Amino acid sequence: MPTVNLEIQKKGTMSKAKEKSAKKRVAEEDDDQFPIFDKDIAEKENLEDEDDLSDSDESVFSGLEDSGSDSEEDGEGDEDGDDEDEDCAIISDEILKNDTVAETSAKPTATVKNTSKHQDEKLESAGKKNIKKGKGIVMEDGGEKGLTTTFQGLTTTLPADEYDQDTSDEEDVRNTVGNIPMEWYQDYPHIGYDLDGKKIFKPIRNKDELDEFLDKMENPDYWRTVHDKTTASDIRLSDEQVDLVHRLQKGQFGDASFNEYEPSVDFFTNEVMIHPVTNRPQDKRSFIPSLIEKQKVSKMVHAIKMGWIKPRKPKETTPQYYDLWAKEDPNAILGRHKMHVPAPKMRLPGHEESYNPPPEYLLTEEERLAWEQQDPEDRKLPFLPQKHSCLRAVPAFSRFIHERFERCLDLYLCPRQRKMRVNVNPEDLIPKLPKPKDLQPFPTTMSLVYRGHTSLVRSISASPTGQWLVSGSDDCTVRFWEVNTGRCLKTLEVGGAVKGVAWNPNPAVCLVAVCFESTVLLLNPALGDRLVVGATDQLITSYEPPEEDKEQAVTWALSEGPEHDKGHRLTLTHPKGVKQVVWHGKGDYLSSVMPDNTSNLQVLIHQVSKRRTQNPFRKNKGLVQCVSFHPLRPYFFVATQRCVRVYNLIKQELTKKLTANCKWISSMAIHPGGDNLICGSYDCRLAWFDLDLSTKPYKMLRHHKKALRGVAYHKHYPLFASGADDGSVIVCHGMVYNDLLQNPLIVPVKVLRGHQITHDLGVLDVTFHPTQPWVFSSGADATIRLFT
Amino acid sequence: MSQLQTRFFTENKKYSVDDVPFSIPAASEVQDLSSVINKLLEAKNGSHSQVEFDFLVRGQFLRTSLASHMEAESISTEDVVEIEYVERFTAPQPEECMMHDDWISSVEADSEWILTGSYDKTARIWSLEGKAVMTVAGHTDVVKDVAWVKRDGLTSLLLTASLDQTILLWEWNSERNKLKARHCCRGHAGSVDTIATNPTRTKFCSGSWDKMLKIWSAVATEEDEELEEQPNRPRKKQKTEQLGLTRTPLMTLSGHNEAVSSVLWLDGEEVCSASWDHTIRVWDAETGELKTTLTGSKVFNQLSYSPLCQRLASGSTDRHVRLWDPRSKDGSLVLLSLTSHNGWVTAVKWAPSHEHQLVSGSLDNVVKLWDVRSCKAPLYDVSAHEDKVLCVDWTDSGLLLSGGADNKLYTYRYTACESDAGA
Repeated sequence: MPTVNLEIQKKGTMSKAKEKSAKKRVAEEDDDQFPIFDKDIAEKENLEDEDDLSDSDESVFSGLEDSGSDSEEDGEGDEDGDDEDEDCAIISDEILKNDTVAETSAKPTATVKNTSKHQDEKLESAGKKNIKKGKGIVMEDGGEKGLTTTFQGLTTTLPADEYDQDTSDEEDVRNTVGNIPMEWYQDYPHIGYDLDGKKIFKPIRNKDELDEFLDKMENPDYWRTVHDKTTASDIRLSDEQVDLVHRLQKGQFGDASFNEYEPSVDFFTNEVMIHPVTNRPQDKRSFIPSLIEKQKVSKMVHAIKMGWIKPRKPKETTPQYYDLWAKEDPNAILGRHKMHVPAPKMRLPGHEESYNPPPEYLLTEEERLAWEQQDPEDRKLPFLPQKHSCLRAVPAFSRFIHERFERCLDLYLCPRQRKMRVNVNPEDLIPKLPKPKDLQPFPTTMSLVYRGHTSLVRSISASPTGQWLVSGSDDCTVRFWEVNTGRCLKTLEVGGAVKGVAWNPNPAVCLVAVCFESTVLLLNPALGDRLVVGATDQLITSYEPPEEDKEQAVTWALSEGPEHDKGHRLTLTHPKGVKQVVWHGKGDYLSSVMPDNTSNLQVLIHQVSKRRTQNPFRKNKGLVQCVSFHPLRPYFFVATQRCVRVYNLIKQELTKKLTANCKWISSMAIHPGGDNLICGSYDCRLAWFDLDLSTKPYKMLRHHKKALRGVAYHKHYPLFASGADDGSVIVCHGMVYNDLLQNPLIVPVKVLRGHQITHDLGVLDVTFHPTQPWVFSSGADATIRLFT
Repeated sequence: MSQLQTRFFTENKKYSVDDVPFSIPAASEVQDLSSVINKLLEAKNGSHSQVEFDFLVRGQFLRTSLASHMEAESISTEDVVEIEYVERFTAPQPEECMMHDDWISSVEADSEWILTGSYDKTARIWSLEGKAVMTVAGHTDVVKDVAWVKRDGLTSLLLTASLDQTILLWEWNSERNKLKARHCCRGHAGSVDTIATNPTRTKFCSGSWDKMLKIWSAVATEEDEELEEQPNRPRKKQKTEQLGLTRTPLMTLSGHNEAVSSVLWLDGEEVCSASWDHTIRVWDAETGELKTTLTGSKVFNQLSYSPLCQRLASGSTDRHVRLWDPRSKDGSLVLLSLTSHNGWVTAVKWAPSHEHQLVSGSLDNVVKLWDVRSCKAPLYDVSAHEDKVLCVDWTDSGLLLSGGADNKLYTYRYTACESDAGA
């Protein structure tokens, strides 16, 4: 379709159908397309127009039904046009006239069937025309070409015009045989006909090869000589022609003056203009609301109402990511790639790597020799430190490849073991202990201070009823106290610093064992029930010596006279200094400890009723610190520096050896149940042994800051206490369950302070009240304190 | 400051004011209220002299400003506040200091004489003026408790209990100042720590470390004339002699698991005992059966019972004085805890003539005078002692006594009780 819509107003054509106006436009277009053509080509143009007209008729009105007569008229019209082709001024009129003729003659009722017929007729007419003109028609060839091109399409440019201007075609005109194989004229003396119809004769003598060669050798213009077959003559190309050939060979335009890069001028600007391209007023219909659109809209509204059209789902704004590796098994082959193990780090260079190391890093001659003689694997350094005067003098690094290789080996062969780091909340590691508040009763406050001693109180012991307390001190006295008032009821002088006191645990016997220097003294304090006191005296006096007097390790002596009045009953003189004395639960046996690293005579067991003494051990197993009887069974506990040995007294054998994991045991206490034991040590530890569990401590408590001096269990309450040189008594809840599967529960509940530290000694002994949850402690400040 | 509508009333007719509401500043304290009452009384009675008053709001002593007290007690300030006022108790005035040779373990005073037991194995009789009248020596060990039995004219019967497991019943003639041991009560297997005579003065009950309570007859039976006791005799000789007739207990009450620390008679039929086994038990003295058990959490040191308010007060081995209802059937409920002491409460005693007041002595050397209507703080602290207070007593005549480990028996005159003694 034509791009330009210029209409030529014409009277008489207004009523014609649109198709015709369209066709008219085509014609117009043809005119418009060649406004630049000169008038001298008008003739050709005219010819073209004729052809065009017929062609365009054909193409545009290809569907016309009855155009037989019309086309003939057309043909006549054409001829008329041919006649009048001289005058340019008339041309346009002619065209217009032709147009009108064509338009009027054209009848817009066409069928496809008749088209071919019409074409045939057209061709026939064209043939006639060619015949009429005969050979005299100059431009037949070109005209035919033009025809073919116009046949191809109306919109193409017309090449015929080009041929008109092409001067090269004019050369061909010298021979009119046309484009035929020239061999056809081989046998003739001529080679064709010139424009005047005269024979063109061949040159008299054809050049043979020798001529050719000579020509080639001699003729300086041979390279530009071209043989023309049609005239059988040699043509020497001019300089312009040679130049043209060169240009064409290079793919350039033939015209040297043609500028192929002329600035392009846009026919339409690419900018949006405010004014319309056409000046056509807007249609009226553009102002009338469209009924169809209205119907469409109402249909859509209805559909929306009926729910047939649903609004688009809003686009999800959240980006949709997913973990690509979420389901990946970390144990799979690929999974371990995620387990990143950092490569071993390279050692940073030290001073010996420096170019100018400190002199101590430089090897001496002997060292260097030794280094050289060592195997490379044994060398401490893989290189020799070398000193250079300046950085510039440092040579190239000769071991570079070697070093890189070793690094690669390191990376390749390094043990790639992942360190399993466990993330545990430290709070979770602390066992869940009950609150001390829930573990009451236990001693919390200091209630009474028993004052009277003048030197440090080494040992205390409570009477089995809990009414009295006995204490032995370095001021060579033994004092008896009333527990609930703090009243000192009795003071007994003994002949030395008292190392240990022990109240007989049997309530039916009123005896207190006191040890000082190398003596164990059995006292009757005459406190408590008179009957018991009397019975005790009776028990002691009722002793009848056996017939044969055995040699014993100690001498038993009955006190008499004023000593008896003071309360002394029996005196056991030991060969060595006695440090501790302890009763058996039944109250008949007592044991005394004489620490001595050199002999087996360290522990003695005495039987009061028979005044008999035994040395249970034949061998020295170490310095005995303290001993204790099992509260229920015939076991005997001996604590040496590092361990506690448990002996069966009946079978006379070692049952168990407990290792305390501490340096020096200071004190020991047996749980009233007999299956647990605590050891205090001078290295600030308290070890709880569960005898059923292990020979190693079940728990080690390190609450004290200084050496422990005394430990004690309560008889009834689940309590134990420890006193130490830091002046404090720590009371712990130590619950032992009857269930063998349940381990003892140990909770520190209270730190009791009160004792002053004297001569770096704090609390020397602790003991519990037999019935109440009270704890007594004796200290180096010569006081005994009761905590309740 | 806001005003409060108050209405004042008192039991004491002498100081009664008109029963009309007054508007009092809420910030007013005891001094202000006291001056208000004094002004009113002056207006009513020209011859009125200044009297210090104490004020009670709903049975609690006013100790701070009226507003803060009512806020603490959550009493509405919208209504008319009923304020009772009583004459202020004056501080006990120290009177005498009686020196002993040893710790004083116990004290009991009646209207004429004071009896003290001491750790020097003797008991002593003092006049109220602080004059040593008689030394009762006969025990071979520490005298732990003493008690008056009765007085017929010039002749008195008294009891001493000792660590030597015996109780001695003595007859003392105050005119001739003669003392005679009438009976030696044997039977306990431990030190006798406490004795108490029944209200009819015919029996007494003793508690001992051997966990037993024993009831004895307190009537001195006549028998062959015995050698009169001569207190100046050497102690050793006394020991060998028999001190009066041996008497055996009428009844033994066993049930305590630990030592009995204090015993008293609730009335003629009921004996109450406190023990180291953390219980207070009430026994029927006729049948000997256990009636009630009140369980505490600490060892009891001493009990006291006030027939006026029918409450037991206990001192135990912690810092509290606790009040109990011995008749209560709903378990062991502590009615009130009086907390101010810093050591074990070793002695408590209700005021004989005042239903709200009691005195307590403690190991922290302080004697405290309490009014149960002011349980937050004691009325007065009496800190005369230099060592542990072991015993306190209170006579009908308004004399406070306290003895302790500093060998001194202090007496204080305390006169406040008369004002509402009749209440």
